[in-house]
Amino acid sequence: MKYLQLAALVLLIVAAVMLSMLGSRSLSHLQSGFLGFLSPLSRSGSAVKSSIGSLGKDLMTLDQLQSEYDRLLAENKKLRTENNGLRDLQKDNDHLRNVLGYRERSSFRLIPAIVLSHDAEAWWSTIKINRGSKDGITPDMPVITDRGLVGKTTTVSDDMAEVVLITDESCKVAANVEGTKEQGISAGARAPEGELQLAFLSKLADLQPGQKVYTAGVSGGVFPSGIALGTVKNFHARELDGEAILEPAADLGNLDDVFVVTGAK
Amino acid sequence: MRTTLLFILLLILLPVSIAVQDLLPPLPPMQERIFLLPVVFCFGALALPLLPALFFALAAALIQGMALLQIQSGQIEFGLTGPIIFFLGWTVALQMLSEATHGLRWEFHAIGSALVTLSLVAGEFLILCAKRGGFPFDLMVIFRIAMPSAAALLIAPLIYLLLIALVPYASEPAYGQGRSGLGTSGLEG
Repeated sequence: MKYLQLAALVLLIVAAVMLSMLGSRSLSHLQSGFLGFLSPLSRSGSAVKSSIGSLGKDLMTLDQLQSEYDRLLAENKKLRTENNGLRDLQKDNDHLRNVLGYRERSSFRLIPAIVLSHDAEAWWSTIKINRGSKDGITPDMPVITDRGLVGKTTTVSDDMAEVVLITDESCKVAANVEGTKEQGISAGARAPEGELQLAFLSKLADLQPGQKVYTAGVSGGVFPSGIALGTVKNFHARELDGEAILEPAADLGNLDDVFVVTGAK
Repeated sequence: MRTTLLFILLLILLPVSIAVQDLLPPLPPMQERIFLLPVVFCFGALALPLLPALFFALAAALIQGMALLQIQSGQIEFGLTGPIIFFLGWTVALQMLSEATHGLRWEFHAIGSALVTLSLVAGEFLILCAKRGGFPFDLMVIFRIAMPSAAALLIAPLIYLLLIALVPYASEPAYGQGRSGLGTSGLEG
């Protein structure tokens, strides 16, 4: 029995050492396999979550209907309910038309994707989407919404991909400010707060709140030029350069539908 | 047999906890996330005998490492070495605590979960500071470290009770190594 325990301990140590020594390619394959393994769990979890979310939405609508009923006693309750239902459908319809229209209008080849989850990490901002290598996704592809840049793909499995958001400290984007010749590098903070820091601007840059910032599209880079990145919130000069704080153009806290840019049309 | 069943159950719970924690909404006011894997790991490290606990720690390190692994443009920011050392180290420490207290007690599970979470998140921050440079230690960073730990402290008793309910056989004494297993002493006391 003691020999068995000793053998198990040796096996444990060997496994630990071998895992520690894995290189980036092996780790990438391992992580891709892990994402594939996690995919059914994430997909079913996401489906359950959206079912619960829609239940809450319905309850809120009933609440709103109730308050409407109290406020406007003369109103016909049945008609009011029908109107509200139609309004929800109209809203969904408008949203879907908008998304479809953006895909057709866009000068990029886009693959639509659904956000499965926002990863629970303290120092990284990443999400998982329901598209993978089967759909033609590869690492380092830009991810956008109809409002602006979201991030880029990192690890890709067969039917799922991880996307690092622009609010992550490690996701750096070359950008220029609308109406100026100012160019800088945008990135998030180490503890992401939902804002972007656009650094390496001129100290004398006269940036005003509300100015729009777009991707610069440097050669050999990941992001093409002209994608909305955010708007300037404030600007301050530092010792060597200027830095602007940006509000991201895309609503990164409430991402449902995104597009992966696979190339130009 | 009991140990094997508990080991398999906990092993299944590791990826499930990763999938579930990704779906949980962030905590207000600063959008901190809730981590379940350290809580499940802590339960396993306290409840299992040493050798299975070490293998369980290796599995936890592999899964946590895979979840954390950031490879951008071929560059690894976080490999598996850190998580392996971290989880094996904590397993040895928690095993000593478990021996000293003659089994798993819910209050030690809660405190252990909070400490494991705290050291995990703080350790990640320190490694990032060492790799990326700078030490931006502000209120946001404090919240990012403290809130998940506090959440783990509160969630741990619930997971403890859930696991006790799932594996009632485990609350019976003995894994045959002088351990009192998932002793009910914690529940009574």
